[in-house]
Amino acid sequence: MPIQGIRSVTKGRNGVGAFILQCKRLDFHYCDWAGSSRGMLSFLQHYLPSFAKANPQIEIRVSPRPNKHPVVKGHYVNGREKVICVRKLEKEQILQKANLLKEASGEKLKRTKKPVTSLNESVRGIWSPYHGDIKTV
Amino acid sequence: MRPALRLLQPLEAPSHQLSSSLYVCLNCRQGFCPRPRPDVQSRRNASGNSPFTEKVRRKLWGTDDPPGLKDPYGGEGAIQKTFRKRSQEKETPEETQETEITSGMQDEGVLEMDDVAPPLPYERAKTWDGLERLGHLGKWSDYAPTEADEYVKFLPERKLVKMGQLYTAAHQTAVELCLMRELKKPLTDVCQILEHENVVFEQIWRCKVNPVDDSSNVDGQLVFLNQQAKDMLFFVFEQVGSQSEPSTSTQTYENTEIEEENGSTEELVENHKSDAHPFFGYPKPLDIGYLSMSLKDPNMKFAFLKRLSQLTGHFIPDSAIASITNIQAAIDYLETLVKPKPKKLAQQLMTNKELQNIPNVQVFQSRRTRIHQDEELGRRKIIEAGLRERGLFT
Repeated sequence: MPIQGIRSVTKGRNGVGAFILQCKRLDFHYCDWAGSSRGMLSFLQHYLPSFAKANPQIEIRVSPRPNKHPVVKGHYVNGREKVICVRKLEKEQILQKANLLKEASGEKLKRTKKPVTSLNESVRGIWSPYHGDIKTV
Repeated sequence: MRPALRLLQPLEAPSHQLSSSLYVCLNCRQGFCPRPRPDVQSRRNASGNSPFTEKVRRKLWGTDDPPGLKDPYGGEGAIQKTFRKRSQEKETPEETQETEITSGMQDEGVLEMDDVAPPLPYERAKTWDGLERLGHLGKWSDYAPTEADEYVKFLPERKLVKMGQLYTAAHQTAVELCLMRELKKPLTDVCQILEHENVVFEQIWRCKVNPVDDSSNVDGQLVFLNQQAKDMLFFVFEQVGSQSEPSTSTQTYENTEIEEENGSTEELVENHKSDAHPFFGYPKPLDIGYLSMSLKDPNMKFAFLKRLSQLTGHFIPDSAIASITNIQAAIDYLETLVKPKPKKLAQQLMTNKELQNIPNVQVFQSRRTRIHQDEELGRRKIIEAGLRERGLFT
């Protein structure tokens, strides 16, 4: 019996069908002893399973960092890292920070001055004197 | 009358000493005149040899022979009295009075030294060996222990850690207390038995406890295997603690090998041999009725927890006692002691089944360092290879 492919029609997703999450790994560091890690310990016990299930494309590593404040470190596709110290934060606040790191692109934060941001600096292109009609002064 | 030289001394006395040709004005005379040395200066009494206090007394009383003590401070002191006493003892009758006066304090000191001086010639010590020790002669640890110093712990050294053994201990305690209550004996007397004989324990293990809400109704609580077992257990527990009225069913068990452990503590300790296999290896009792037995009665509760602590070796604090209302609650508390929660979060997360099923989660027990990162990236092999080439790594 010949193999038949699945008949399906490509769905237009406005160019976002092949979206790759820029965050590839999240590291959660905590301290067993320090009080500033209390929220972090609670987050790892209660929120981490659901967070990991909801984001299967992100690798999650949990490791202790004794005698240090708890941090969440995000590793991105562009090779950069972002670290957020979550000392004394509650588990809900830590979840917000984890989502922030997950949704980040990994680039440095830049101030957006223009309403439109594009790779092409100008739609009309750069002016050249050798192109176009002959100008008369 | 003799003039009072004391007042005139600073002004007039130097004028007698200096030559008459040397004139010093009255203002400069204070600084010019050599001051008398205090050690050389002797006290002068303006009138006679009577001391100042005596003169005051005479003046106050207005007569030359005032009543009362001559010395208002109570006479000679304790040291002076001692010296006088010793000197009187040492003095021989032929010694004259003058020698005593002239020798003064130095002679008395010598006499005193003769009193305590060792007969051997004095040798200066170079070490402290052989010298007399001052203060306490020894530390408390130097003395032999007395009877009051000996301490025997109520709780045994070994602690039961298996849940089956805890259930067996609780069942045994419940049966024992029910027996003691039926015999109308003090409940805490059960603690005098450290360990039962195998035969007795087997009968206890086979007993069932039917929980009764009304604690006063004790008749239906214990269910024995048979009448013989009941008689045997009653006989054994009648011997526990203070002897009550003689039992009627003792004649059948006098020739058995049952040995009652109501004797001295030494015998009980000797009989306590089965540390390796507590409860003779009996498993968890099949009966579960005792678990819901009420411990609302304070006496029953205290006796039960005391005996349970003795059998299991676990201390039950007051905070836990308040929340224990039945035997199941007591076992639940012991379970928390036996199986304490892992202190490290990594251990908790690694045992979390929900996390184990998620493939994108990794939990590490130790801190991740650069070495781990090198290993992960494969960089460590290159580094080691480079070190080997240079002979820096073996």
